[in-house]
Amino acid sequence: MGLSASPAAPGAAAAAAFTILSQLCGAAFLYVLLKADGSWQVMGLLALLGVGFFLLERFPGIGEFITASLTRVPLVTAATAAIIVLGFPFVVGSNTYILHLLIVAQLYAVLALALNFQLGSANIPNFATGASYGIGAYVSALLALNFGMSFWLTLPIAALAATLFGFIIGIPSMRTRDTYLALVTIAFGVVVQQLLNNFDWTGGPNGLVGIPAPSLFGHSFASPLQVFGWKLPSQANFYYLAAALVVVAVVTAQRLHGSRIGLAWNALRADEIAAKAQGINVAWYKVLAFAVDAFLAAFAGTIYAFYVSYISPDNFTFLVSVTIMTMVIVGGMDNIFGVIVGAFLLTILPEKLRAFSDYRLLFFGVVVIGFLMIRPQGLFPQRLRQYGVHR
Amino acid sequence: MSALLRVENVTMRFGGLVALNDVTFSVKKGSVLAVIGPNGAGKSTLFNVVTGVYKPTAGRMTFDGADITSKPSYEVVRRGIARTFQSSRLFSDLSVLDNVIIGMHTRTKTGVLDALFRPGASRREMAACVEKAEALLQAGSGDLYEQRNRPAGTLAQADRRRLEIARALASQPKLILLDEPSVGMDDKETDALVADIKRLRSGHPELSVILIEHDMRVVGAFPEHVMCIDYGSRIAEGSFETVRANPRVQEAYLGKAAAHA
Amino acid sequence: MTELFVQQSVNWITLGSIYALLAIGFSLIFGVLNVIHFSHGDVAMTAPFIALALVQALAVALGASGPVWLVLATIAAVIAVGLIGAVLDKVVIRRFREAPAMMALVATVALGIVIRELIRHLYPQGSNPHAFPRLVSGVAFEITGVSVSWFALLVVGLTTLLVALLFVFLRLTPLGLRIRAASEDRVVARMMGIRDGRVFRATFFIASAIGAIAGLLFASYAGVTRFDFGVMAGLLGFSAAVIGGLGSMPGAIAGGLIIAGIEVLAQTFVPDGASYRLVFVFILVIVVLVFRPAGLLGRTIMEKV
Repeated sequence: MGLSASPAAPGAAAAAAFTILSQLCGAAFLYVLLKADGSWQVMGLLALLGVGFFLLERFPGIGEFITASLTRVPLVTAATAAIIVLGFPFVVGSNTYILHLLIVAQLYAVLALALNFQLGSANIPNFATGASYGIGAYVSALLALNFGMSFWLTLPIAALAATLFGFIIGIPSMRTRDTYLALVTIAFGVVVQQLLNNFDWTGGPNGLVGIPAPSLFGHSFASPLQVFGWKLPSQANFYYLAAALVVVAVVTAQRLHGSRIGLAWNALRADEIAAKAQGINVAWYKVLAFAVDAFLAAFAGTIYAFYVSYISPDNFTFLVSVTIMTMVIVGGMDNIFGVIVGAFLLTILPEKLRAFSDYRLLFFGVVVIGFLMIRPQGLFPQRLRQYGVHR
Repeated sequence: MSALLRVENVTMRFGGLVALNDVTFSVKKGSVLAVIGPNGAGKSTLFNVVTGVYKPTAGRMTFDGADITSKPSYEVVRRGIARTFQSSRLFSDLSVLDNVIIGMHTRTKTGVLDALFRPGASRREMAACVEKAEALLQAGSGDLYEQRNRPAGTLAQADRRRLEIARALASQPKLILLDEPSVGMDDKETDALVADIKRLRSGHPELSVILIEHDMRVVGAFPEHVMCIDYGSRIAEGSFETVRANPRVQEAYLGKAAAHA
Repeated sequence: MTELFVQQSVNWITLGSIYALLAIGFSLIFGVLNVIHFSHGDVAMTAPFIALALVQALAVALGASGPVWLVLATIAAVIAVGLIGAVLDKVVIRRFREAPAMMALVATVALGIVIRELIRHLYPQGSNPHAFPRLVSGVAFEITGVSVSWFALLVVGLTTLLVALLFVFLRLTPLGLRIRAASEDRVVARMMGIRDGRVFRATFFIASAIGAIAGLLFASYAGVTRFDFGVMAGLLGFSAAVIGGLGSMPGAIAGGLIIAGIEVLAQTFVPDGASYRLVFVFILVIVVLVFRPAGLLGRTIMEKV
């Protein structure tokens, strides 16, 4: 068994060393990118990234070696990742702008992971993830503002409300497909956004203001975080909260992907009729994908609402849904790591291109089109499942 | 022995087109029924109706004592009917092993909450599936087992057909429907296929098979029960010898002029 | 009451004609290329800007102004937009023909962003709304006290004319027949030796030019144009095409009339209906697709098993 895995399978010690090193490199790159100022630096880093992906494409052995190392020592991988995520705010220090970017990037990572169940695993279009995100944000904000409910209580309620919405948009998916289904989800997205924009009790176009910061064990998230004598800005609270949500999303994604549910989604992506012939209740699995997507998106929405303390319908437009779709496609459909990278890149890069501030959207559009032409499979294409590598 | 599948007066219309016309037959437990007939006679439609892909316009079907008329596909598969497709429909971007594991869908039961909150149970279930799937891949002819980690889309034609059969068997069916399994196989591979089916039957004496075939060598290997369909109607049924001698069958295959010559 | 009814009917048919013209473009392109060209609305809405720019350029260069020049400028804009469509097809959209439907959808959404942003940056003060003149003015006639403008007649007449021309073109000319053949069955069409490239180019030119006319009429109807009108124009035109049944010409016209009808009804009879009109329109889209998944006049394609 061991021999068939890969000719380049590293030993445990080498794998551990390599795992730690490669993750530190990744973190360092992210840090430099976040710190980068001025278009030349950003361009240079982008070029570096391009060279990296070119090498990965040219020599597929590198990528295999990295993934082989990471999966060879899963505990080391997880521990290194945990230390990097926990330690990042300490390195960033008091730079609240970088923390803000990281919070938004992490929330988008959750949204992209949520959509990935549908778009990546099951190839079901959904242009309404932005609406689920908005429903999560509005439900929790309304509960907090009108009933003084605590953040921790609104979190599950908002998620349930959005899941219900997910089931409702999922129902037409039993009867419509592809382009037609895409339009149904677009329609749902527009309806939700227009209703938020028009109802009085949602604040209309002005939205909701003054959403109170959450608190945990008497510590308000609006106040700075003190750890072992270190003082981190208040954004650090939300950074850790968002990081926890990313962990939840990743674990959810991994567990579903590795179970018969992930396989059933993949089956209906590959061939719906053949999937039916294997006894898969195709309609149910489609609706389920919508529900899971909405559930996770609502968590992200709730955290967003309490973080910025001000939400309006403009935060949850069709364009937001398209951006999330783009993150999944650019990162790599059905590849958890790729989707997160896609979310980070597409959140941070436009922000970093402030030099062209007015041309940001144009740049975004051109990059997306070019990317879809040159590398439609995404930065990190989906991988075949491997069983029993450690046997 | 009692009938496992009973199809009574089934008619299937698509608009004005009658694809199946008042078809009646039954399959006994542990037996093989070979269905023959010219192209477009309605053989594949028959499979689609039995497996719930199409709802019949009229008629009734019972399987293993229960009514399966108009039941959805997943229900039919769960009750024990598995099938292959004429143009092998594999999950081509998934590995060979995953294709077989998906075939076990109705025999596994992890739900979303189980997968999320009882990961151990979910993992054990998958491990058991992997083991069973590997055994199934080793059982047939060819070297599917050695290719188990390849994407199914990269398999050679004969291996694709073998994999479809392995995937169908993974659902532990009582009845398996094979739609022209020998298409795209050379003589040697066809012989191996016949041997596979025979080995399968001796290993599972209870398993029934319905076989759509054009290759008369394959039909000849299972001569006990043969049915011929033409223009959606059953025109002959019986042993291979009697069906082959039936003038209407010869007419259907060779055309009127030749049959009367 | 009759007054209101007649007034709203005129509104309905005017708006419905414009939506129908947009929907025809979506339907034509989908029929031939099997690709949803989501930026079709944005392509169409470049026409008013091109016409305005031409009018101003003419005024500066020749000192000419007046209705004749406006008409010339709009005709030039229609042709220019047709060419833009053909170029976009060659450079971008054709590459997504064989790709999964989702890729084409996302790519053309991005293309829409690019087109909008280009208008915004290239046109002087492109972020602001710009007044657009009525192509014709004055009252044609009155019924039951309601005056029907020449403009309404122009919209309806032009739409009827274009639909008739398109019908004749698709049925009687060699190129039209090839377009129809390609939309019926692409593989067969290719086997019969129909050169895809020309058929695609022609389809895009025609669809975009018709879209341009819709865009000009819409800007003229609203009296104003803005760089981001294309989003709604695209969504409404796409919805009309899908409700009617993608690939069906009569479906596109029916879809356009239905959507305009819902909008007008909502504005007339529902209190505060104007702000909820999109809600009604898109709820209708959902309902139609749930009950008729291939649209009202679309063919339900049963997948061969």
